[in-house]
Amino acid sequence: MSTAVFEGTRLHGATVRLVRDDITELDVDAFVFYASHDLILGSGHGTAISVRGGPSIQKELKALAPLETGQAAVTGAGNLKAKHIVHAVGPRFREPDLERKLRSTMDETLRCARRVGARSLALPAMGAGYYGIPTALCARVMLQALDDHLRSDDALEEVVISVLDTPQWEAFRAALEALDGGKAR
Amino acid sequence: MSTTEKQTRSWKAERVLDGMGKKLSRQITGSLVACVHCGMCTESCHYVLANPGDPTYAPAYKADKIRRLFKRHHDWTGKVFPWWVKAGSVYTDEELEELKDIVFGRCTNCRRCTFSCPMGVDLATFNRMARGLLVSVGIMPEGVAVVSKDQWETGNQMGVLKEDYLETLEWMEEELQDELDDPTVSIPVDQPDCDVVYSINPREVKYDPRTISDAAKIFHVAREKWTMASEGWDMTNFGLFSGDDALGGSVASRLYEKVNELRGKTLVISECGHGFRSTRCEGPNWAKFDVPFVMESSIFTMLRYIKEGRIKVDKSKNPKPVTYHDSCNFARSCGITEEPRELLHLVCEDVREMYPNRAENYCCTGGGGAMSMSEYTRERLKSGVVKANQLEATGAEVVVTSCHNCVDGLTDVIRHYKLGMEVTQLVNLVANALVIEGKPAHAVVPGLEVEAGSNAQA
Ligand code: SF4
Ligand code: SF4
Repeated sequence: MSTAVFEGTRLHGATVRLVRDDITELDVDAFVFYASHDLILGSGHGTAISVRGGPSIQKELKALAPLETGQAAVTGAGNLKAKHIVHAVGPRFREPDLERKLRSTMDETLRCARRVGARSLALPAMGAGYYGIPTALCARVMLQALDDHLRSDDALEEVVISVLDTPQWEAFRAALEALDGGKAR
Repeated sequence: MSTTEKQTRSWKAERVLDGMGKKLSRQITGSLVACVHCGMCTESCHYVLANPGDPTYAPAYKADKIRRLFKRHHDWTGKVFPWWVKAGSVYTDEELEELKDIVFGRCTNCRRCTFSCPMGVDLATFNRMARGLLVSVGIMPEGVAVVSKDQWETGNQMGVLKEDYLETLEWMEEELQDELDDPTVSIPVDQPDCDVVYSINPREVKYDPRTISDAAKIFHVAREKWTMASEGWDMTNFGLFSGDDALGGSVASRLYEKVNELRGKTLVISECGHGFRSTRCEGPNWAKFDVPFVMESSIFTMLRYIKEGRIKVDKSKNPKPVTYHDSCNFARSCGITEEPRELLHLVCEDVREMYPNRAENYCCTGGGGAMSMSEYTRERLKSGVVKANQLEATGAEVVVTSCHNCVDGLTDVIRHYKLGMEVTQLVNLVANALVIEGKPAHAVVPGLEVEAGSNAQA
């Protein structure tokens, strides 16, 4: 399942790839974890981060918690292949004003990535899956935010969107294809 | 508009009521409108039997907590004469929390009440709908949140990491090689073009790896061309319990896609009631997936091997008195009651029925994901008195079940009521009863003797 089937959409000089993989295992400068307000890593990808990455990550988070919706914080990635983890607290469970909140979470996430000088960044389908953000909305908002951000970020060379299943894959492929046919360059 | 109508609603309450409209299938609507409050289902619920005199545990009482919302917002009767049909609404998050305690904490979705209802009301179906609506706004027991997130993000409901899963398979392979004194025995992973792709419950990796090696032993002796998958191997599905159809579809499609990728002919599902129901019955709908291969429970696979002479068993190896507990999902939702008994009689000397049994059997108390909801443990164990009495009356030393969830539910009940019984599964008993060539057999199963050498399969 770790196949990158949709390769190489170019967006303002950066490559945007779609993969179906375990985001915590990717060899990138930074990856994004869709965090909870208290920054407790918890289950799901949180388990993978704490087990594979070691205790230093949760220890660092202790000093950074809590965060409001739309905020993000950066820690090291312990024993993981990545150098940094961006812990982004986005909207969840059909809460009001979803789109605006997701967009500001994305903007803050990308600012964090810029701050640590990430040249490669992996993003999950932010809030899709467990937190129930509709995949099509998620794909549209994330790619719009990336499109805007990459105009001014020359450091970021590669963006990897790492999805969990076929519905997420289809939503992002469609959104990337639309971008490719329209503005991508 | 009444004063109540002018009350403002929390966004969560709004979304729940909105969402209900989209979930009203014909089956759910039928069950919501059909109840005539005759009370015939009342005594069928283990919560009622364990709490005599408390009407709030009655299936119809619990159902009415959901039904009133349907009546008020989605049924004309509740709009015309709400007082008559007891229509009502929700406004606050506190009210939703109260509903959560009913739909998650006071019903295991066991469907026993459905079998007593002359009107065919299936409470579990709309109880699951209500769970899903609450989950969609983030209202759920803590354990449900943890397990759901694990299954969404790691692909299995216990958060087992890939390296731990593969290491466990290797460990079990080594154990089996030692046990059989045969270094060629293997637990294959990701072998393409196999006749069997074997899927398991993550509980087997985490707490009960013996069930994996026992299954591997059976496949080995049967000379099966089989494999396990490195991903998409979890046949359980928490979406069935949480009411989240998207999770249900995601988990099921990961399993189906992997079998397709490996070009497997049959997906064999290890013993698990809800796993079987989710994968075999509900999954194709949730995932909108046209499944091109056969899906069968390992109960049927093991029975087939014996009948085809691919394995020989000696029931004298399992002499202790045993009794069979029917998983609710196998017995009531999938109609599987006879095959496990047939298999049990082939591999055990002393089989005793518990009463009631088959589709009328009582829940182990762990149904509907209840084992993950620690906040309701006290109530769950209290309701377990019904199961405990049933078990004790058999005089059996061992309770056999075909479900990992039931193993945990029964173990908890047995411990709480100090019954001193063991709990095991068919796979363990079949593996223990195997007659392996070169090892002496004590007896042959009457009526199923096969000619020497006929168990050799290509
Ligand atoms: S038996 Fe059926 S109709 Fe009678 S109270 Fe129970 S659910 Fe309602
Ligand atoms: S489904 Fe089972 S637990 Fe729920 S009300 Fe009916 S009998 Fe009781």
